Amino acid sequence: MRNSFHLQFNDKVESSVLEMLKRSRHQLYSDTTSASRMLNAQIILDFSWEKLNTGTWRHVDKEWRRVYSYGCLFKVAALCREEPSADEVLQALKTCDMGLLMGAAIMDNILQVIVQILQSEVRESTKEEDESEHAQVKRIKIECPHVPVIKEELAVPRIKCPSLESFNTNYLLPLKPVILEGIIDHWPALNEHPWSIEYLRSMAGCRTVPVEVGTRYTDEEWSQTLLTVNGFIDRYILNKDGAAVGYLAQHQLFDQIPELKEDIRLPDYCCLGDGDEDDITVNAWFGPGGTVSPLHQDPQQNFLAQVMGSKYIRLYSPEDTDKLYPHQSQLLHNTSQVEVENPDTERFPEFAKAPYLECVLQPGEVLFIPVQHWHYIRSLELSFSVSFWWS
Amino acid sequence: MRWFGFGFNAFGQIHVGEKLIKGECSDAAEEVKVFSPAELDCCSCCRVKTGCHIRASWSRRAYLHLDGDSCVCLCGVSVKDSRGCQDASVSESHLTLAFSDRIESWDLQKEEKTPSWSMGITTESSGPSLNLPLVPGGYIATKPPFYRSLSPHLKAKSLALSAEHAVLLSASGAVYTWGLGSHGQLGHGGLTPEEEPRAVEALWGMPMSCVATGGWHSVCISDGGDLYVWGWNESGQLGLPSRGLRKALQQQRSQQAGATCQDARTSPAEESQEGEKNEEVFISIQAFPALLDITPSCEIRTVSCGSRHTAAVTTTGDLYTWGWGDYGQLGHQTLISSDEPQRVEFFSEQHMRVVDVVCGAWNTFAAVVKEEVA
Repeated sequence: MRNSFHLQFNDKVESSVLEMLKRSRHQLYSDTTSASRMLNAQIILDFSWEKLNTGTWRHVDKEWRRVYSYGCLFKVAALCREEPSADEVLQALKTCDMGLLMGAAIMDNILQVIVQILQSEVRESTKEEDESEHAQVKRIKIECPHVPVIKEELAVPRIKCPSLESFNTNYLLPLKPVILEGIIDHWPALNEHPWSIEYLRSMAGCRTVPVEVGTRYTDEEWSQTLLTVNGFIDRYILNKDGAAVGYLAQHQLFDQIPELKEDIRLPDYCCLGDGDEDDITVNAWFGPGGTVSPLHQDPQQNFLAQVMGSKYIRLYSPEDTDKLYPHQSQLLHNTSQVEVENPDTERFPEFAKAPYLECVLQPGEVLFIPVQHWHYIRSLELSFSVSFWWS
Repeated sequence: MRWFGFGFNAFGQIHVGEKLIKGECSDAAEEVKVFSPAELDCCSCCRVKTGCHIRASWSRRAYLHLDGDSCVCLCGVSVKDSRGCQDASVSESHLTLAFSDRIESWDLQKEEKTPSWSMGITTESSGPSLNLPLVPGGYIATKPPFYRSLSPHLKAKSLALSAEHAVLLSASGAVYTWGLGSHGQLGHGGLTPEEEPRAVEALWGMPMSCVATGGWHSVCISDGGDLYVWGWNESGQLGLPSRGLRKALQQQRSQQAGATCQDARTSPAEESQEGEKNEEVFISIQAFPALLDITPSCEIRTVSCGSRHTAAVTTTGDLYTWGWGDYGQLGHQTLISSDEPQRVEFFSEQHMRVVDVVCGAWNTFAAVVKEEVA
């Protein structure tokens, strides 16, 4: 029993660390105190956390992310060993999520398996409470957003259910933005399981996700934090009361919560690209009215599908980059310095001369943002978008 | 001179509990986290009392005996091949020994009869004694290529290395930094890396006498005994107000109070606390050196850093610590982190004068002598 699973790492992981991992593995099967198990798991987590924060994220050796996941596994085992309380189950859920977010898959992605078991347990026990939560629906303030009036000559063109060929010829190859209507009408997210605050709570309420806090990522006060989906909804969507803007942005939520993946589909038009289906990055963008993505460009094609609420979007061609004043720094060279809806005309005089297209994207619509096309996005109300980055 | 240690002890670096001696896994938390200073186990060559140096990594603590028959003792056992060494440093994977004619790096994970890397050197008899990681003409890095050259115009006097960055003190008291800078640890005001040593301009004109590095922060002492800090402050390791620390402490308190894990839901009491604190300026990254005031005012004699904590010895023999404290490495008989320098009362209570401090990643070692009775 003792050697039932193998701890295998490359030589980047020092023998002292392996020693700690073996101690924790031994404790899975031995009679020892829960405090001692938690302590050893925490040592592994603390050490690998330091490695994960050393150097750039891209260069962090995958082995350290695996060690971190083992730390999460041992911590979850310690929490759930003896009839865990409701609070311990929530802690275990958060620990699984930390492993999924920061770690790398171990033992056939065991953390994903465990998190779904824990999640169904939480769902079972909170079913009775759901009835009383309906009152919360009324607390969402009816937002009267300042909806920009779209000038007809500047409107992004629209087309309904184009054929693959016509999309390819008229929009993809010439890299022209367009709004595709009717192409996600079949999504369960808009039909059998219409997405709403209540639905998202029931599917993912106790799951931990990264949240961006602050008006825009170019601001000094901008930061990232980790919250449960319930916590995010409570603090940044419902009881706003002057809290800063919070945005669940650019997060691969559907990898973390596969049940939500069932509610969306990959747009067929992605097959027109060269890349593999597996290389398509699907991100969730969920937040209140007022979230802003500053004008920036991305290195891949993008289908931005709107599921809940509406967004004001402005697009500039890469040909006009010289009028958009991108930041000089490495970190932000794909981001413009200009505040699109409040430009400083003294610092950025050419900006007013840059031609653009604009639109208000509504639920059920998909915006095609060609690669390197500059885009600025402001949510007008509670909003949920799904983006597909493909090549 | 006696050595005391506190903090992380899962490998018996501070003292070996009974269970560890028996070869059983140490289950007791008190054995893993030593939060009150404990005298270090005697060295098998019994020379602790005649004075020795300490070198520490995350899991190891080595004694370096330099008087007479010099050698390094690791885990209570004298390292045979270290006889005659002039300096030593220990990392998680290697023990590096400096001899008058060569440098050797021994892989601690394998039991081999020869060093995994070595290099010949020539030391001038009149020149400065070896001061690892500095070696004639350059320094020994923590990962290959081990030998890196340094321009002679830097006149390197001492060098502090961490996984991400390096801080060099020149003979003239100038400070140079290089490496990764995403946490402000280079002190040039930005977050960009530097490939080559770059002078910390903010300290220009103030000669420094000592430099130290933690995982993501840097510290130096001026000739006048002032402490300058810069880099990451997520656990209060700079001694400046840390928002992350306050939040973590708040969460700990509410968890202990039996509240459920609703991290975003703040109770009215917590809300008002936050309101008051809004006037306080929190620092998570200090990209330029900042002068750290320790009260009551004192002159700092030497300083050392763990991965996320800092320990400083004053000229009057007090030890101050601050930063991450989860493993007891601050020595205040708690496991609480602190963003304010606090004196380690244990030594003053025992009438001991602290004369030196060396930090491992998650622990602290203090050298003491008996306080002279006035």
